[in-house]
Amino acid sequence: MIVASGPVIPNFGQGSSCEVNNGWFCTEWVRAHWSDTLQPALIQHIELSAIAIGLGFAIAFALALAGFRFRVLDPPIGTVSDFLYTIPSLALFQLLVPITGISVTTVEIALVSYTLLILYRNMIEGLRGVPAEIVDVARGSGFTRMQTFIRVELPLALPAILAGLRIATVSTISIATVASFVIAKGLGSPIFVALEQDVFKTEIFTAGGMVVVLALVADGLLVLLQRALTPWARLARSA
Amino acid sequence: MGEAGEVGMRTFVHAFRFMGENPHLLLEKTGQHLELSGAALGIALLVALPLGLWLGHLHRGLFVAASVSNVGRALPSLVLIAFGLTLFGIGFWNNTAALVVLAIPPILTNAFFAIDACDRDVVDAARGMGMTELDVLTRIELPLGLPLVLAGIRISAIFVIATATIASIAGGGGLGDIIVNQPTYGLAGVVAASLWVSGLAFLAALILSVVRRAASPRPVPVP
Amino acid sequence: MIRKHTRRAAKAAFAISLGVAIVLGGTAAVASATPQAKPTIVVGNKNFTEEYILGQLYGQALKAKGYPVKFAGSLGSSELADTAIKTGKINLLPEYTGVIVLDIAKQKSPKTASATFAAAKKFEETRGLTLLNATPFYDTDSFGMLSATAHKLGVKTIGDMKKVKSFTFAGYPECDKRITCLLGLKQIYGLKQAKFVQLASISVYTLLDQGKITAGDVFSTDPQLQESKYTVLTDTKHIFGFQNVAPIISKKVLAAGGMDLEHAINAVSAKLTLPAMRAMNKAVAIDKKTPAAVAKAFLKANGLA
Repeated sequence: MIVASGPVIPNFGQGSSCEVNNGWFCTEWVRAHWSDTLQPALIQHIELSAIAIGLGFAIAFALALAGFRFRVLDPPIGTVSDFLYTIPSLALFQLLVPITGISVTTVEIALVSYTLLILYRNMIEGLRGVPAEIVDVARGSGFTRMQTFIRVELPLALPAILAGLRIATVSTISIATVASFVIAKGLGSPIFVALEQDVFKTEIFTAGGMVVVLALVADGLLVLLQRALTPWARLARSA
Repeated sequence: MGEAGEVGMRTFVHAFRFMGENPHLLLEKTGQHLELSGAALGIALLVALPLGLWLGHLHRGLFVAASVSNVGRALPSLVLIAFGLTLFGIGFWNNTAALVVLAIPPILTNAFFAIDACDRDVVDAARGMGMTELDVLTRIELPLGLPLVLAGIRISAIFVIATATIASIAGGGGLGDIIVNQPTYGLAGVVAASLWVSGLAFLAALILSVVRRAASPRPVPVP
Repeated sequence: MIRKHTRRAAKAAFAISLGVAIVLGGTAAVASATPQAKPTIVVGNKNFTEEYILGQLYGQALKAKGYPVKFAGSLGSSELADTAIKTGKINLLPEYTGVIVLDIAKQKSPKTASATFAAAKKFEETRGLTLLNATPFYDTDSFGMLSATAHKLGVKTIGDMKKVKSFTFAGYPECDKRITCLLGLKQIYGLKQAKFVQLASISVYTLLDQGKITAGDVFSTDPQLQESKYTVLTDTKHIFGFQNVAPIISKKVLAAGGMDLEHAINAVSAKLTLPAMRAMNKAVAIDKKTPAAVAKAFLKANGLA
C-alpha cells in the first residue's frame, strides 16, 4: 500500500454542551437536524402510513363486500385477520424479509395486514347493523339490490366504517414506528439510532413526540370527516 | 408465489423443531414475559378499574374517558418504551411503566361506559331500597356491566402481551428477546417465539372468557 | 363472430410483439453503440456508527464521480450483510477483514494484518466477490469495562479475568457464537464463567454507565474510549484478530466499472487512518452530527467530493 500524505481531518464542529452531555432537550439539535433527519423521516412516515391505510381500506372493503354478500366467507376471512393481528409486528416484519426483501413492500404488506382486522370487522358489523326493515322497505319501493346497497345500506353503515378507519389510521401510524427495525424509513428510524447512541434523549423525545402529534392530527381530521359525512349521527348523539 | 410458500412452509417446520430443541429457553423467556405483562396489567387494573367504575357510577368525566381512549391509541408502543428508557434507565420500571400507560385506556374506557350505560331505573330502584352508593355499584351496576368491563380487560391483556415483545429493545426480557435477535436464533426462532406470544395472548383471552362465564348471573329457570 | 374476434386479436398481438421486439432491439443496439454506462452501486452497511459513516463515505465519493448510487440502508449483522452481498441485494459492503476470515469463513486467525487481508480476499473470490484495498485503520473488538471496575478487580489483561468468580459480558447477539468475541473468550482464554448479556438496541456504554454489566464488547475506534472513564484489557492472545476495513465488491460490478471505479474506491480507503476514523466517530457519536454530513465534510476536505 502506497501511503500518500495523510488525510486532512476537517473540523466537524463541536457539539453543544447539551448535545455532548445528553441533556433533556437540546433545541439546537432539533433546529440543526430538522431538514436532514426529522422532516424526511416525517414525510416517509406519512407516506408509509397513507399507502397502508389506502390499500388496507380497499382490500378490507372488497373482503367485507364478499363476506357480506356470501355469508359463508365471513368466518374464514375473520379468522385469518384475527390471527394476523396477534403476530407481533417485530416478527411479521422480519418474516417477510426473506420473501420480499428489505424494502418498502415488506413493510407495507405487514402494515396492511394489521389494518385488515380492524377495518374488515367494522365494515361487516356496520353493514350487518343496518335494520332489516329498512332494507325491506327499500326493496319494496322498487330499489334493485345494487341501489339498495349504495343508497341505503352503505350510508347507514358509514358511521361504523368511519369509526374503524379512525382506529386503523392511528394504529397504522403507531405500528409504522416499528417498521424501522427492518428498513431505515419513518419516524422510528431516529428513535432506533438514538437508542444506540447512548439513549440520546433529544432525538427520542422529538421523533417520538412527532409520531404522537401525527396520530392525534390524523385522528382529529377523521373526526371532522366523520362529522361531515354523517351529520345525522351527530344529531342522534345530541338528542 | 410458489417460492414464498416454500420458504414459509420450511420456516414453519423449522420453528417447531426450534421449539423442540429449546424448551428451556422458551420457558424461561415465557416466564419473564408473563412477569412483565402481569405486573403491568396488575398495576393498570389497580389504577384504572376503580377509577373507571367510579366515574361511570357518577356519570362524570365522559370527556376524560373518551379522550384517554383516543390519546392512548395514539401512543406508539416503541415511543413509550423509548421514553421509559430515557426517564428510568434500564431496569424493571422503564418497560413496566410504558406498558402500564398502554394498558390503562381500554380498561378505563370500557369500565366507564359499562357502568355509565346501566339502566337508570334499576339503579334508582336499588337506591330506593336503601343501598349505599358502593353497594349499588358492586351489586347492581358491576354485574350488569361485567361483559363490557371484561372485554376491556381482555383487549388490554392481549395488547400488553403483544407489546411486551417490543420491550426487549430496551432490555425488557421475555419472548421479545428471541424476536429481536434473529442473528442468534434464526428466523425459525423468531417464528417459534411469536407463535408462543400468540399462544399466550390466546390463553389470556380464554381465561378471561371463562371468568366472564363464571361471573355471569345464572339464567332464572322458567317454571 | 368469435373467429373474427380471435383473428383480430391475433393480428393485434402479433403487431404489438413485433413492435416491442423492434423497440427493444433498437435500444439494445443503441446501448451497445454508446460507451458502457456506469453501473449502479448499491451500498450496504451495518447498523452502527462507524459503518454508517463508511457507507456514506464510499457512496458519496462514487456519486461525486458520476456513479448512480443507492444506499440500501442498515443491515443487522455481519451475517445478514454477508447474505445480502452474496445474493446480490447489495454490491458494495465495507467489511472488516478479520470478521470475514474468522466469522464468515470460519478459518483460523492469521498472524498479521496483511495475511488476514489476503485470506479474506481469497475467500471472497470463491464467491463471485472480491476485496479492494484495505484501510490503514483497524477496528478490533475489545474487552471494555469501567476503569473503576478494572481497578477494583485488579485486572489489566483479559487473562487476568480468570480470577474473577463470575461476571457479565455484553455484546451484539452474534458475539455469543464468534471466536472474535465471547466464544473466543470462553474457549481461548478459558473464561467459562462469563455470563452473556445480549444487546438489542442499547449501546454497551449505556449498560456500563448504569452498572448493569461488568464488561462488554467495545470497538477500538469508539470515541468513548478516549475518555479515562473506560478502559480496555490487553488482548495478549490476539483473539480479536486484525480488523482493517476492506470494501467487498461484486466482481461483475467491478468489471463494469473498470479501473475508474477501483481507483475511486481505493482513493477513499487510503485516507481512512485511525485518527481520521476516530474523529469522524466522535463527530457522530458525541457531537451528534449526522453520518452523511460528516462524510461529506471529510470527502470535501480531501478533494474526494
